[in-house]
Amino acid sequence: MSRDVKLRAEILKLVEEYYQERFAGRSFDPARDTVHYAGRVFDADELVKLVDSSLDFFLTASRYSDQFEAEFAEYFGLASAFIVNSGSSANLVALTTLTSPKLGDRRLRPGDEVVTVAAGFPTTLSPILQNQLTPVFVDVNLGDYTAIPARLEEAIGPKTRAIAMAHTMGVPFDLDTVLRLARKDHLWVVEDNCDALGARYRGQLTGTFGDISAVSFYPAHQMTMGEGGCVLTGDELLGHIARSLRDWGRDCYCAGGESNTCGKRFSQQFGTLPYGYDHKYVYSHIGYNLKVTDMQAAVGVAQLGKLDRFIARRKANFQKLYALLEKHQDRLILPQATPHSDPSWFGFVITVRQDAGFTRNELTRFLEDNRVETRNLFSGNLLRQPAFIGIPHRVVGDLTNTDAITERTFFIGVFPGIDDAQLEYIDSVFERFMGGERVS
Amino acid sequence: MPQKLRCEVTRILDHGERVYSVFLKPETQAPRFRPGQFLHLTLDEYQHGDFWPDSRPFSIASPPSERSLLRITYAVKGRFTSRMEMELHAGRQVWIKLPYGEFTVSPRNAACLLAGGTGMTAFTAFLSGLEADYPHPVYLFYGARRPDLLVYRTLAEAAARSCPNLRVCFLAEQGDASTDYRRGRIDLDVVWKSISDPLNVTYYLSGPPGMLQGLKAGLGQRKVADGRIMVDAWE
Repeated sequence: MSRDVKLRAEILKLVEEYYQERFAGRSFDPARDTVHYAGRVFDADELVKLVDSSLDFFLTASRYSDQFEAEFAEYFGLASAFIVNSGSSANLVALTTLTSPKLGDRRLRPGDEVVTVAAGFPTTLSPILQNQLTPVFVDVNLGDYTAIPARLEEAIGPKTRAIAMAHTMGVPFDLDTVLRLARKDHLWVVEDNCDALGARYRGQLTGTFGDISAVSFYPAHQMTMGEGGCVLTGDELLGHIARSLRDWGRDCYCAGGESNTCGKRFSQQFGTLPYGYDHKYVYSHIGYNLKVTDMQAAVGVAQLGKLDRFIARRKANFQKLYALLEKHQDRLILPQATPHSDPSWFGFVITVRQDAGFTRNELTRFLEDNRVETRNLFSGNLLRQPAFIGIPHRVVGDLTNTDAITERTFFIGVFPGIDDAQLEYIDSVFERFMGGERVS
Repeated sequence: MPQKLRCEVTRILDHGERVYSVFLKPETQAPRFRPGQFLHLTLDEYQHGDFWPDSRPFSIASPPSERSLLRITYAVKGRFTSRMEMELHAGRQVWIKLPYGEFTVSPRNAACLLAGGTGMTAFTAFLSGLEADYPHPVYLFYGARRPDLLVYRTLAEAAARSCPNLRVCFLAEQGDASTDYRRGRIDLDVVWKSISDPLNVTYYLSGPPGMLQGLKAGLGQRKVADGRIMVDAWE
C-alpha cells in the first residue's frame, strides 16, 4: 500500500472517531433543547465521504457527482439526473429547458401561459416570470394544500402551454387530472418535487410523471447536500438541454477537465462559426453555471443510501403527531393526503380554523416561546409578496384558500431528527396552549 | 449517467487482419446505456481525482441488457489501437468511462444501416434487441474487406431470423464469388433498389471516414434530406 493511500485510510478512520466524539449519541432535553422543524441527519459516513472527496481535491464535479447522478437516476428509473446547486436552480433549469429552440414548435415562448399555484415557494414561480411566461394561478385545498382539480380544468385557455406546480409539503397534487389535461391539450408538465422526494402517486414516485422535475437537497428536505438540487427527466433531448443550461449553455458535454468525449471536438459546424470550431466553446443556449462541487455530491451519496429510511421515519413521525394532535381538530385543520397518494411529508401543516378563538400568530408565538420551531407555509399568497406585486398574471376564480394560508397556516417538523420524546413534548406544548396558556 | 469504471479484460478475440474484440468486466455494473452509445477506454493509470488520461471512443457492441460484461471491437489503425494490440491481454486492468453518444436508431420510422468494418459495432446492440414485432422496415448493409471479417454476421443473421422486418445484405471487397455475400463495397445503387421508399428512410452510417464521406455525399445527391442522414463519425 502506497503512503498516500495509507495516510488517507488513517485520516478517514480519524474522521469516524471525530464523528463519534462530536456528534453521536445526543438526546433531547425538553428543558433546554429546541424541537427543530428540520435539520441535517447524518452519521460518520457523510463526514468520511466529505473528507474523502476533499482529499481528492478535484473540487469540481467528479467521481462522487458521477456516482450520485447515476444512482439517483436509477432510484427514479429515469434516464437522466443532473445535480445543480439548489432546488431553486433545478426549477429554473427545468422550466427554462422547455424554452429551448431545440424543441422547435413545442418550445415555450414569451407570453405563453403556465398554470400554477400562488401558495408556495417563490422559486417555483420565479422561472415562469424569468422566462417571460405568464403564470395562471388557481386556488388550493386547505388540508392538502395542492391545486383544486376543478380549477385546473377551468384554467386551461388557448395560450396555456404548461402546468408547473409543486407537490407542496410532500403531498402529490392530483396527477390524474394534470396528466389528463396535459395529454388532451399537449401541455408540458413540470413537477416541482423539491418538497416531496419519495412521495408516491398510485404507487409511482413523484418526479417521474411529468416531462421534467426538480428536487431540492437543502437541509430541510428529505435528504441533503447542504446546498444542492437535481433535475430529472426521462427524455433524452430534454436531458441534453438541461445539462447545457446548467453548464454555461455550452453544447459540449465533456466533464470538467476533460476533452473530446464526443470524439468530434474539431469536426462540426455550428451557427456561423468556422467549421471545426472547438466544441468546448460552442454555446447552444443562454445558460448558467449551476453546478455543484464534488464535496456536496459526496454528502449526497451518503445521504441517498439512507433516503428510504429517512422517508419512512418522516411518515412514522407524521402518524404519531397526527394521533397526538387530532383531539384539537375542532380548532385546527390537520394535514391530509390527496386521493391515491402516499406523501413524503415535508412537515406537519396546520391551519388555524377561523372560529378557533385564537390566531395563527398567537399559537406560533407560544410554540416558538416554548422552543418548538414553526414555519409559515413558505410565502403564503405570492401575489401579496413585495417582489411579485404587479407581475403579469391571470387568476382563475379566486384565491380564498391561498389567502387563508397566508393568514392562518404554519407547519412544524416531522424530520427524522425528531424522536418520540420530542413528539410528546410538542403535544404537551399544544395541550398547554389549548388549555388557555399564552405568551405574556 | 456517465461513470468511470475500472475493468478487467476477460478475453480477446483475434478476428485476423489486426481486428480484435475485447471483453471487459467492470468492477461494478456498468450504468444503463442505449444501443449505439460508446465508451472511452484508456490504457493509462487513472485514479479518482486525477485528470482523465488519453482515451479513445469505441461503440459498445454488447447489448444494454449485459451491463456486467461489455464488448468492443477495434481494428488497428493508429498509435492508440497499436498500443491496444500490444498491451491488452486477459487479466489486464483498464479504465473506461461510459455511456456517451446519440447515435441511436429511431424506432419511429424505417431505417437503413450502412456499416463498414468495425463500424458495425454501432448497430450490434440495436440488432440484438430487435423484437419479432418491430414495426418498421430495417435494412442492413454490412461490408468488410474480406468475408471472414464480417465479425458480426452471425448476430445479424440471427436478428433477421427473429425479426421479419429486418433485411440484411453482406458485402466483401475481397474473396471468391459467393451466394452468401455481394462482392465490392456498399453501393448506393444497390441500396436504392433494395428499399421500397428510399426517401422516407433514415440512413445511419458507421464505418471508416472515406466510406462515410462517400455515402453521405451520395445520399445528398439522391435528395435524401440532411435530417435523415445520421453519421457516427469520430476524429
